[in-house]
Amino acid sequence: MLVRFWGTRGSLPVAQRAEAIRAKVVRALVAADGRRFASEDEAAAFAQENLDFATYGAFGGATSCVEVEGADEAFMICDMGSGLREFGIDAMRRCAGGHARTYHFFMSHMHWDHIMGFPFFAPAFDANATIVVHSGHADAEEALRRQQEEISFPVPFDWLRATFEFVQHKPGEVVEVDGVEVTLVVQHHSHDSYGYRFARHGRSVIYSTDSEHKLDNMDSEAAFESFFKDADLVICDTMYSLGDSVSLKQDWGHSSNIVAVDLCHAAHAKKLALFHHEPTYSDEDIARMHAETVRYEELVRAERPALEVICAYDGLEVTV
Amino acid sequence: MDWQVRKDGGRLIGQPRGRVDETTWEKFSNDLIAAVREAAAAGLPLTVDLTGLDYMSSRGLRALTMAKREAGDAVAITLAGPNERMREILAISRYDKLFEIVDDVGL
Ligand SMILES: [Zn+2]
Ligand SMILES: [Zn+2]
Repeated sequence: MLVRFWGTRGSLPVAQRAEAIRAKVVRALVAADGRRFASEDEAAAFAQENLDFATYGAFGGATSCVEVEGADEAFMICDMGSGLREFGIDAMRRCAGGHARTYHFFMSHMHWDHIMGFPFFAPAFDANATIVVHSGHADAEEALRRQQEEISFPVPFDWLRATFEFVQHKPGEVVEVDGVEVTLVVQHHSHDSYGYRFARHGRSVIYSTDSEHKLDNMDSEAAFESFFKDADLVICDTMYSLGDSVSLKQDWGHSSNIVAVDLCHAAHAKKLALFHHEPTYSDEDIARMHAETVRYEELVRAERPALEVICAYDGLEVTV
Repeated sequence: MDWQVRKDGGRLIGQPRGRVDETTWEKFSNDLIAAVREAAAAGLPLTVDLTGLDYMSSRGLRALTMAKREAGDAVAITLAGPNERMREILAISRYDKLFEIVDDVGL
């Protein structure tokens, strides 16, 4: 399977402001230290090798949208955050090259940041497209229709030309979707959210966002350990610090990098992707949080095999 | 993990030794809550002496949170003498913003 991140930001899309770009350019110039580059390629090679990700790159600001490639023919996408717009454009390109026009969506929940990309999803206007929306919620269709009512958006849902199907699944049941085994787990979040496990050819990917792990609920913790069991990649909501998640932001429905590492350790997962980044965080803040998480994993690893901790960004691809 | 509690200098001092992880955190949590209750009954603040602790994972941090909730406004909890590793864990988890941390237990 191949996992492609189209949107990784939590709660609200963000865009880089001029000050942030300026700071990156300034840091790059200082790092170049008077060097001369014969071409842009040479400068790019220097930058790639010598600048950190927060300087030479950016985590991006689109909200949750993650593609899992690996079904027989169809596209599989987790959530419809603002990253979905870019995915839609890329999918149309791939369809022009012969890709099947079937889209399976797996919805964590229907909060605004997870559905806001849908009105801008170009394939919804393709009369030859089939869009299947899988969710644990009974009200997924209502949420998408309501978002396109006249008061919020000029194009009503019924003007969309694709063929739609809404399928509700029960947590714990294994469903086969175009060659991929999919399982849901219910998560603690306002109006509930669902995590997904995608498995094929002995490989597995977990998508678990907008999920709070309560301190005093050990049964739920055991349930997540078994849901994450031996996963090759776990994409996890790590929006807050543990300190915030048990004090000021308790019951806000999100988790921390610390709990994500501990759950992955207990589940013997192989790789953890930090996800649903706090919108007030700059690229430096996210990079620092990533470095701290890598360090925490080292500090508490003990005799376990290393858990690789990566930080999701818009555009990242991970082969599983 | 081993746990001992003593009264010293107008405080109750609880001292865990070893490491707090998924196998030992429940004992740590129970011992800690019992110490909070004992401190509350005696009208004393509680110092958790971390000098003998290798590290704690989030299970241990969770126990600290539950102890803090149990303590409410009645018992002030201070963490004393964390080693380098514990200091890093307290900083990464931002627990250094939730708890007062002092360099040594003092007397
Ligand atoms: Zn969200
Ligand atoms: Zn949400």
